[in-house]
Amino acid sequence: MSKKEIRFTSTGDPVRQKPLSLRIWQNRGFYFMFLPVFAFVLIMYYWPMLGIRFSFFEYKASGRGAMTWVGLQHFQTMFLNPIKAPAFWTAFKNTIELSVVKLLITTFASVIVSIFLNEMQNIHAKKALQTVIYLPHFMSWAVVASIFSLFLSPSSTGLVNGILQSTGVLKHGEYVYFLASSVWWKPIYYLINIWKETGWGTIIFLATLSGINPELYEAADIDGASRGQKIWYVTVPALANTIITVLILNLAKVMNLFESVFVLYNTAVYDVSDVISTYIYRQTFATMNPDYGFSTAVGLFKSLVGCVLVLVCNWASKKTRGRGII
Amino acid sequence: MAKEKIVAPPKKKKVRAFDVINYIIFVIIGLMIIIPMWKVLVDSLNRYGVYQFRLWPHDPTLEGYLTIIKTSRLIRPFFISLITTILGTFFGLLLSTLGGYVLIQFDMPGRNVFAYYLLFTMIFSGGMIPEYLVMKQLGLVGTWWILVVKHGINVYNLVLMRNFFEGVPASLYEAARIDGCSPMGIFFRIVLPLSKAALASIGLMFAVSIWNDYSTVQIYINKSENVNFQYKLRTMIMDGDTPVTQYNVSQTTLFNAGIIAAILPFMLLYPFLQKYFVKGVNIGAVKE
Amino acid sequence: MKKKVLSVVLASAMALSLAACANTTTDNGAATDNGTSTTETTNTTDNTAAAEEEEAYQLSTLRMVVDGTLTANEDNRQDAFEEQWEKAVSEKMGYAVDLVIDQQDHSGYKDAVGRILLGGDLPDVMIMSADMYKQYQTTGLLWNMADAYENAEFQSRMDMPLINQNMKTADGALYGFAPYYGNGCVTYVKQSWADAVGIDLSTIKTYDDYINLLTAFATGDPDGNGVDGDTYGVIAAGFGKMDEAPYINYMSEFYQGAYPAILQDENGVWYDGFQTQEMKDALLRMQDAYNKKLIDPETLTASTKIAREKFFSNDQTGSSGAFTYWAGTWYQTLTDNLIKNEVDTDLVMLAPIKETVDTWGGYLNREAPVWVILDDGDGNDARENAIFKAFIETMLDGGTVQTLWTYGAEDVHWSTKAEEFVLNAGTDKEKAYSYAEGEFHLKQAPNDPNSLWKKNLIDPALVVAHLNDDTPAAAAKGTDLATQGNKFFTANCVDAPAGASCQTLTDYAADIADAKNAVIASVVTQNGDVDAAMEGYKTAVGAIIDQALAELNAQ
Repeated sequence: MSKKEIRFTSTGDPVRQKPLSLRIWQNRGFYFMFLPVFAFVLIMYYWPMLGIRFSFFEYKASGRGAMTWVGLQHFQTMFLNPIKAPAFWTAFKNTIELSVVKLLITTFASVIVSIFLNEMQNIHAKKALQTVIYLPHFMSWAVVASIFSLFLSPSSTGLVNGILQSTGVLKHGEYVYFLASSVWWKPIYYLINIWKETGWGTIIFLATLSGINPELYEAADIDGASRGQKIWYVTVPALANTIITVLILNLAKVMNLFESVFVLYNTAVYDVSDVISTYIYRQTFATMNPDYGFSTAVGLFKSLVGCVLVLVCNWASKKTRGRGII
Repeated sequence: MAKEKIVAPPKKKKVRAFDVINYIIFVIIGLMIIIPMWKVLVDSLNRYGVYQFRLWPHDPTLEGYLTIIKTSRLIRPFFISLITTILGTFFGLLLSTLGGYVLIQFDMPGRNVFAYYLLFTMIFSGGMIPEYLVMKQLGLVGTWWILVVKHGINVYNLVLMRNFFEGVPASLYEAARIDGCSPMGIFFRIVLPLSKAALASIGLMFAVSIWNDYSTVQIYINKSENVNFQYKLRTMIMDGDTPVTQYNVSQTTLFNAGIIAAILPFMLLYPFLQKYFVKGVNIGAVKE
Repeated sequence: MKKKVLSVVLASAMALSLAACANTTTDNGAATDNGTSTTETTNTTDNTAAAEEEEAYQLSTLRMVVDGTLTANEDNRQDAFEEQWEKAVSEKMGYAVDLVIDQQDHSGYKDAVGRILLGGDLPDVMIMSADMYKQYQTTGLLWNMADAYENAEFQSRMDMPLINQNMKTADGALYGFAPYYGNGCVTYVKQSWADAVGIDLSTIKTYDDYINLLTAFATGDPDGNGVDGDTYGVIAAGFGKMDEAPYINYMSEFYQGAYPAILQDENGVWYDGFQTQEMKDALLRMQDAYNKKLIDPETLTASTKIAREKFFSNDQTGSSGAFTYWAGTWYQTLTDNLIKNEVDTDLVMLAPIKETVDTWGGYLNREAPVWVILDDGDGNDARENAIFKAFIETMLDGGTVQTLWTYGAEDVHWSTKAEEFVLNAGTDKEKAYSYAEGEFHLKQAPNDPNSLWKKNLIDPALVVAHLNDDTPAAAAKGTDLATQGNKFFTANCVDAPAGASCQTLTDYAADIADAKNAVIASVVTQNGDVDAAMEGYKTAVGAIIDQALAELNAQ
């Protein structure tokens, strides 16, 4: 979206500045084509933005649509109210922590896996493996959560607990209730994320690796480099830029965490698993006669933080790779 | 692929050790992914639920799948998933190709305004409640159309499409324009035929996200007859929402059959379409 | 840079202005839409003298929101139920009423109601658990049906007037109607398991006896698979559902006299039962049993259906010997399933243990679920009265409509025609049924020809007003076990304490429930210190509880 794009046509010739009205007329077909997109974006994205005003009102089902101006009261409740604020701050902290840790470890795992995949000599084995490790990506979170809930079931016969018992890690009759334990929930959440997304994450790194100039490896061979040295001095540096790109692109989305948590959490682990979006969900739908103004205010806070993150990442992206993410 | 042959140095003993380790690592990784899926598949064919891992089903039965087909409250969500995925993908491709194409018209006045108009939605949103109320006013809440409409307009995919169009040689457009083609004509006669790969890749991205959507249903669809399969599956498994007493099959078998049914469409398509999936990711991230 | 800023500003200005236009137009659309569910007729030729104003209103559609308790669901010929209801009610009312059934999944019902109410799309009638009812009662969304209730036709056949009388608020308002009383849970034990561990169930009298029984189940090999200790003593759907009164009924042996909610003492003063020594003791009892593996750990998150399925699952490894669950019809259903899965043939109901009898007096009979009418807030009761007449009054009409709610649709779920059928033909569970012409009987379940239809929404054993003797269904007899179960429960139950209802509780219900669940999870399943957990509860919601108590005690 840089300025240069405005001044040149797609063929690279400088635009001869014809009168604006003429240029508009010449492009009338494109305006017409943009109309449906314009209308849908307006309805689906911009119209809801008007709803931000609810943040400053009391707005309840029992009021039958009536709204009472309360100013910044909802924000005060959210940040300071002794009952509501602790849960809100927990959710905020969890959102950041879960997203960032998840992002770092799945990216790390993807890098490792793609380096090893890249070293694989047998093309057929490589293809077959790629096919397998991409698979979990196509499963929905609802399905993944269902599968792992069945496996991690605390019954003495749940698959994982069963294995732990038969291998002697746990004593007979002992079990770990992974998904309902404040200690285990987060590690399990990260593990499930690794299982689901690592393979898919390798695609972009493999693309980068296939672009490495083979002469670099040849030169290393001539220098007598070992396999490990070639990986360390040729492969890894080539990936650095891609890694930063992936991190920046995903950092912008950290506030969006919802579905993966929603399908895996339960009342016993709210303290470690509740995130902003699930908090909003419960404050709205699992509450009797909720104040929609309050939920909207929390949502607005989430949007604003998300907005700042995107802008920061955009800035970082421009610094590191010369172009923004948006 | 020729490249890799050049890269591969002549085998030495040390190299072989590395390769063995490499294979072992990947067999383990592969098993970690396959075993859970295999267990689900086997359990979906077991007559009675068991928790242990079994290599093959004991007393195999298709009753789990038959129950899904015969039970209207399970098969109906399946068809809703199917129809929303097809419609949503079509609709999504339509809007993203139109928008993406207009965004590369660099001499169109206002192009930048349009670009920012779209990009702004990627950094700021109204939030769950305002969006819900808008959908409510549009009469979409509780209907499965919400899935089509909500996924149909996806600015991220639109930008991907634009990136792809940018890669089409501009001289082709110019030639067509000189031949007197209208923008629409160029779009349908030149752009779309040249973009089959992008349409496939981005179409698949739409399809996967619509088929797999759970949270939209959880939030917007409050009529049980309009929920999709993912939602039904999840309430069935996590909340046990099946009238088990009236089925001829154990609940576990039914759950697992449901999971298989939920992942089946993409598992079947995926081996044939893998390159398009991969391409989608790469135009997204590399060519940004 | 300037250009960029300008573009953004332009784009958003454009968007906002257009969105604003769109907003107002659809607002109007929605407003007119609200009026369509009821049509006012100017035609008042009907000359029943009673209430002219009410007759002015004719319902065209009636939208009801219901949970899974309406067993005539989509798979079980709901269409036939709906059609017969519409026919019967339209006849009674003298004009056509279109019933719109909005049936929600059972487990997410509370959330579903939240979603339905968001955006002000109020249905006409809705079913609510006692807990939901208590909280919605203060919101002004529900219509006060006290007068309509007093004058209802079914009063003449009312067997249990107190069920609804007791739901009235201090100032005499009644916002819901309970067609049947609450029912409660009893503890069921598998006879074969008790035999396997050599314990005579009639000797289980105290908490210690009960714990001994559970210990025997958990450490022995009651399922006879040759492995000791791969079974549990008891499973339940939660260590107390903090959003579903009477909270303690799935775990009554452990709770004993404790009650984790706000309740009244003998002087009528409200206090928080959660912050009592009894509650701490109950938590410690559960913690101890959990640590000793007597309670299936899945109890923490299991839904009722998961718990049920585990109890009678064909694979008894990891199952439990005891299960506290609903009395009556469920006694029959659980037994049926145990037989079907070849687990056991006999299920035994345990009498309440001494500790429960000494504190409460018996198993708790929950406050009944109710039907509520949503008030449209226009200050005119005509529409709401019409809904009451068409929906609630007919529900207990003693005849056709009550039969529909109790047993389902004629010739679909039940019949009086001569008929013969066989269940499980060709298996060793085969059972033949034969009925003479005119004999009322239940048919095969529409979605499973191998089981008998049981009931629809209303349990005939619990209904507050009986069927007329001339109704064919009045001749119906409950199944042996269901009847036996109901008798047993009635003989061993006391009414659960009345729930509290005030504005503060409604506003903070979700936060309070979260805080309670946190205490239970930390003490019971994570071996946390009970006093520390209670302190955490006090820090989290203590102030709100105090405020609620002040409000309640001022009422």
